[in-house]
Amino acid sequence: MGIKGLTKLLSDYAPGCMREQKFEGYLDRKVAIDASMHIYQFMMVVGRSGEQQLTNEAGEVTSHLQGMFTRTLRMLKAGIKPVYVFDGKPPTMKGGELAKRKDKREAAESALEKAKEAGDQEEIEKLSKRTVRVSKVHSEEVMKLARFLGLPVFEAPCEAEATCAALCKAGLVYAAASEDMDTLCFSTPKLARNLMAPSSQEKPILEFDFDKLLAGLELTWDQFIDVCILCGCDYCDSIKGIGPVNALKYIKQYGNIEGLLEHLDKEKYPVPDDWPYKEARVLFKNPEVVQTDGLTLKWTAPDEEAVVAFLCGEKSFNEDRIRKQLADLKKARSQGGQNRLETFFGAATVKSSTVGKRKEPEKGKGKFGAAGGKKSKGVTKRKF
Amino acid sequence: MFEARLVQGSLLKKVLESIKDLVTDANFDCSNNGFALQAMDSSHVSLVALLLRSDGFEHYRCDRNMTMGMNLSNMSKMLKCAGNEDIITMKADDTGDVVTFMFESPDQDKISDFELKLMDIDSEHLGIPDTEYAATVKMPSSEFMRICRDLSSIGDTVTISVSKDGVKFSTTGDIGQANITCRQNTSVDKEEQTIIELQEPVTLTFALRYLNSFTKATPLAPTVQLQMSKELPVVVQYLIADMGYVRYYLAPKIEDDETAEAA
Repeated sequence: MGIKGLTKLLSDYAPGCMREQKFEGYLDRKVAIDASMHIYQFMMVVGRSGEQQLTNEAGEVTSHLQGMFTRTLRMLKAGIKPVYVFDGKPPTMKGGELAKRKDKREAAESALEKAKEAGDQEEIEKLSKRTVRVSKVHSEEVMKLARFLGLPVFEAPCEAEATCAALCKAGLVYAAASEDMDTLCFSTPKLARNLMAPSSQEKPILEFDFDKLLAGLELTWDQFIDVCILCGCDYCDSIKGIGPVNALKYIKQYGNIEGLLEHLDKEKYPVPDDWPYKEARVLFKNPEVVQTDGLTLKWTAPDEEAVVAFLCGEKSFNEDRIRKQLADLKKARSQGGQNRLETFFGAATVKSSTVGKRKEPEKGKGKFGAAGGKKSKGVTKRKF
Repeated sequence: MFEARLVQGSLLKKVLESIKDLVTDANFDCSNNGFALQAMDSSHVSLVALLLRSDGFEHYRCDRNMTMGMNLSNMSKMLKCAGNEDIITMKADDTGDVVTFMFESPDQDKISDFELKLMDIDSEHLGIPDTEYAATVKMPSSEFMRICRDLSSIGDTVTISVSKDGVKFSTTGDIGQANITCRQNTSVDKEEQTIIELQEPVTLTFALRYLNSFTKATPLAPTVQLQMSKELPVVVQYLIADMGYVRYYLAPKIEDDETAEAA
């Protein structure tokens, strides 16, 4: 999923495009959220213990609803205006990647059986996370919940993150929110990560600015896409032996993948036989997205009764708890909306200190944390 | 080279107390004009603008414009080490990465040097247009502080209505509601006066949390000035005698009409 090693590459070579923002800092901001990706995350972690997931009395999984409900309410209470975008049909190009994922899942399933026989609890938990599958029903349930909560919901014609990026490009939202770094390949002006992280982790929102990213890497959008394809994306294979750092180096040196192929030592770096990188480019450049012309986004008050009937009636959630959370939200809403100062005075300009030391990005936050910040200073200046 | 000597050192301490709750890290701008700052709170609902004019310092030198990033709570920690009667001098090199605060006791028998590490940070600035406001209220700053504090024990927001008779502060909460009206009052003692200048009546609602943190500037000035216009942020200004000002801007609450607007 996503682009392999891109976060690290950016933190090393274009640290200026990444900014940590406080969750409260997103007040009154409209954000397009890649919901499909988040459902998957919730199914993996929310309410899980061992192989067990949250379910209702009928045994249907409800982790995704629990996750969506709490995280959505957290955003709404903070005055954030989310738009949910769901995956449509996967692009045919993704077939290879999807088949790989399916294989992995099946491998995990058979390993899980073994672990169960052996009774290894840790293994069971680890493997059962890998067997998570998001069905159409799960997405539709979350869509239903989002509509009851009064949020705009879109079903993307194709990949959700492409539509998120399109909404952001059209100026309908401030940022696209996804953990999937390939959202940047769709040239979303702003990408926000960790927006849906649980409040207990206290992760700041990590914001990527696309213009600064290109400026920092000294690439054009087309070149950036080529770098991402070389790093490894969902749509096609990459060249074995070329990692993110080399990908950046070669694209800068040769301009694009074609240029690289002319010069590449094909003995050392075997190029995949059937390598549809040109088609992958098209998918990033001209993805199928929701039509944004003349589109307006509307948020309405949550339909409390509908939410309760759905979550508590059908899905065995605790009614008192749901009602209390909805009441909290209502109270927060009743105090009226709060605009940001930019609404009145126009966009802010950024001013940097002329002296002093730059604080390095915090390290070791999760798997894709902005690691290696220290190295970046020396490396960014190196000329290829 | 930047150097500024302030005989009334306690002023700088008070200035810092007035902004450090709102902003964590900020860029200070040093120029020939003076020592200034503009910063927003993390949710970008309020803004503070500070100006200490160069002519207000006993000695002021700024060879080149500088923007110094500081962590305000660390700066405040250092300034708290200065005595209230101390003379404070700030010093920084054009290329260094520290700012030095020197405290001299009034009788010159104790001199302290504190060096604060500077930070290279990005701060966001807004271009605030000069506007004529529909209503201007001048009132004792301690009175304003008291009102904000009292009302925040009842509700979370305050509605401020200015008419030619006076200014009314009202709030509603779970336990009930409260209204406080201050009438125009031109008493002999200037610091006790409440003066209203009005083009047209204005009513706006604000989050009390922010107003309460603005009133941390109360020790800086006996009078506070509120400026309001329909659908615009309020300006809360504290004038620092012979030096400049601390000004706060706060975006008003808006009625949620349930149907949202286009972006």
